[in-house]
Amino acid sequence: MKENEPDIILSIKDVYKSFPGVVALNNVSIEIGRGTVHGIVGENGAGKSTLMKILSGVYTKESGTIIFDEKKIKDITPIQSLHMGLSIIYQEFNLVNSMSVGENIFLGRFKEMDGMRGTHAKAGELLENISSSIDTKQMVSELSVSEKQMVEIAKALSFNSKLIIMDEPSSSLTADELKRLTQLIHQLKEKGISIIYISHKLDEIFDLCDVVTVMRDGNVIDTKPVCEITRSEMIQKMVGRSIENEYPERPHCVGETIMEVRSINTRKLHNISFELKKGEILGLVGLVGAGRTEIVRAIFGADKAKGHQVILNGEPIRIKKPADAKKAGIGLVPEDRKLQGLVLNFPVQTNIIMASLKKPTRFGFINKSAAKEIAKRQVDNLNIKTPSIATQVVSLSGGNQQKCIVGRWLEISPRILILDEPTRGIDVGAKYEIYLLMKKVVENGGSIIMISSELPEVLNMSNRVLTICDGRITGEFNPENTSAHEIMDKAIG
Amino acid sequence: MNMGTKIKKILLEYLVLVFIVILVIVTAIAEPKFMTSANLNNILRQFGPLSFVALGMTFVIIGGYIDLSVVGIMSLVTVVTVSLIDVTGQVVALIAGIVMGAAMGLFNGLLLLAGGANTQAKALFITYGMSMLYGAAALIFTAGGTLHMSWLTTPQTVFAAIGSGNIGFISVSFVVFLVCLIVLHTFLSATHQGMAIRIAGGNKMAGELSGVPVNRSLVLIYMLSGLMAAIGAIVLFSRTTMANPAAGKGYELNAILAVVLGGTSLKGGYGNVLRTVLGVLLVTLMANCLDLLSVTTYYQTVFKGSILVMAIWLDNRNKQQGGE
Repeated sequence: MKENEPDIILSIKDVYKSFPGVVALNNVSIEIGRGTVHGIVGENGAGKSTLMKILSGVYTKESGTIIFDEKKIKDITPIQSLHMGLSIIYQEFNLVNSMSVGENIFLGRFKEMDGMRGTHAKAGELLENISSSIDTKQMVSELSVSEKQMVEIAKALSFNSKLIIMDEPSSSLTADELKRLTQLIHQLKEKGISIIYISHKLDEIFDLCDVVTVMRDGNVIDTKPVCEITRSEMIQKMVGRSIENEYPERPHCVGETIMEVRSINTRKLHNISFELKKGEILGLVGLVGAGRTEIVRAIFGADKAKGHQVILNGEPIRIKKPADAKKAGIGLVPEDRKLQGLVLNFPVQTNIIMASLKKPTRFGFINKSAAKEIAKRQVDNLNIKTPSIATQVVSLSGGNQQKCIVGRWLEISPRILILDEPTRGIDVGAKYEIYLLMKKVVENGGSIIMISSELPEVLNMSNRVLTICDGRITGEFNPENTSAHEIMDKAIG
Repeated sequence: MNMGTKIKKILLEYLVLVFIVILVIVTAIAEPKFMTSANLNNILRQFGPLSFVALGMTFVIIGGYIDLSVVGIMSLVTVVTVSLIDVTGQVVALIAGIVMGAAMGLFNGLLLLAGGANTQAKALFITYGMSMLYGAAALIFTAGGTLHMSWLTTPQTVFAAIGSGNIGFISVSFVVFLVCLIVLHTFLSATHQGMAIRIAGGNKMAGELSGVPVNRSLVLIYMLSGLMAAIGAIVLFSRTTMANPAAGKGYELNAILAVVLGGTSLKGGYGNVLRTVLGVLLVTLMANCLDLLSVTTYYQTVFKGSILVMAIWLDNRNKQQGGE
């Protein structure tokens, strides 16, 4: 192995990084060979993005060493990492829309290029090298996603990059565009440039990569040449965490159909139809961006969608705005607690009574003691730990904040409760309490639609699971007799 | 929380009161004319029009927006109402003026809603534009001239009462102000709709996702602002007995200054109308004291500008402390 050593372009060794309450990277070690395409796969939250951000200098590691091109790198800034020859192409590109292609490629380096004429000439050369015919004087805002990607790659090459990291490069490419990207990656590889290819799409990993690293919960599970690993093994490694007693016993209260959703079509969603039974917990599984949140937001009237039908208890209803959904007995605990759920500097009381404001209201006036009673009832009910109901909700822990939002909806005794990432960022104890609340809701005849990026959670709580991929429902499973592996397979598409 | 931070918090909370006390003491010592009944009367009168505009502005700011159109609304209401007196009689003209103000506010609100203006910044520009339109309409209406109420043939007893009448020893306009204050305070603090306005100002998205009528709140706050601007305009021209087509000039900034000095947060959600009264008091006192101390207008503007910047800076700082 000795003679192989100089061929390592990037060596990551025992890198550790934590955020308050979570270990994001737990002594991660990966070696990237010169001129190889190295895939990194893992579920959401596995630590891929954190690792990339450490490499580019956005985050700093707490311990461990990173050696790039035989130089130890430590405390670098994103610009320095670029100049060292390490480029990252993010999913949302780093381009200035209102400037031309050439200007973007040499942003801030016009002088070195001998002015604008030189800039455009050199940019043209770079683009030609990657067989792209984009006009360097065109505005970036006029380019397609695939063209923008080309510009990013040309930009990376302009820094003589030795390693290019691509984060989900295929997420919005058409099949043809993907083919071109594939060709380009092979071309770059031949020039001795290494690529780190991060993707959820396993097919691409097998097509493109030489080596693949599987990450899970901040750990590297395995690194193998792709020819030595099967697709199912890979999925196994991605999802296979041990499930202990983190979940209450799955409720079994499923009854008749309560809601039918027919053909939701939006720009992102394609022909979404499904039904929900009384007392059921229905899990929506898919990757971030697959359209899970968009489905529930369309049903709830939070996003505009047209032509679809929602049939509640056998009667078609029209939900044009969230207030209509509320009237129909549907509640939504949104994905982003702080942005969409809470009025952070308002007291716990207001945050709890927000959805049931009409209840303590007589002739337009809010009865203060009735409002207090509602808040107190939910605080007791849900065991919300707060000094008082007048405390600003921002000072509560994540779990207790989340319980305030759940309590807000329980107060209207919803027939259907939609939970979008209900346990994101809250600790294990609070998670368990949320699960118990879910159980209580269905035992009382309510139904739940649950979205979660944590597969084990969905699999352990749901009576039925729908997999969503690219805005389509790709499968329906009974999680009690299906393996996580099979479900993940459908969700990845 | 220890005693020190508690005191600091209360002081910051009611900074405006501290300012008022300091201002009164300093001026009273430096200029004996300050404490004369003629001057105090003067202050109360200047307090009038601004206080109405600022009450309306409080709602807009608590709702998370801003309204610069009050300038144009005041100007247009002034010239139209005064011109109507001879045509319709004074009572109808009075009612028409108030309704017109509310209608212009309503239009602002609907315009913002239709344009999807979901930020304070967008509202700033749209209402600025509307203010120019309303103001231009006022100028076109009078061909740029000022109408004097003494030219009118119809009796103006109602406006005379509003402008200079007294009930007992209190002026009529102050009574009107007290009524507005009580009604608006109750509306904001005790009603379902008032709560909706506060929630919409605190977090529009969360409010909407909880089925709180945030759109209705948006339209309502602008309508209220237009209505209060109209009342302010009427009180103003009743006192001066002339209809200047640029009557509203400067009222928007003074109103915003009063609201922010009172401690209502520009970020929305937090504040109340009682605080605004203190803010108006400070703004009016400041102008009066600086006049008495013979500070020139230019330096008064320097003073006012600094106070506005400081108030917003303090508002930001408070928010950060509460938010983190």
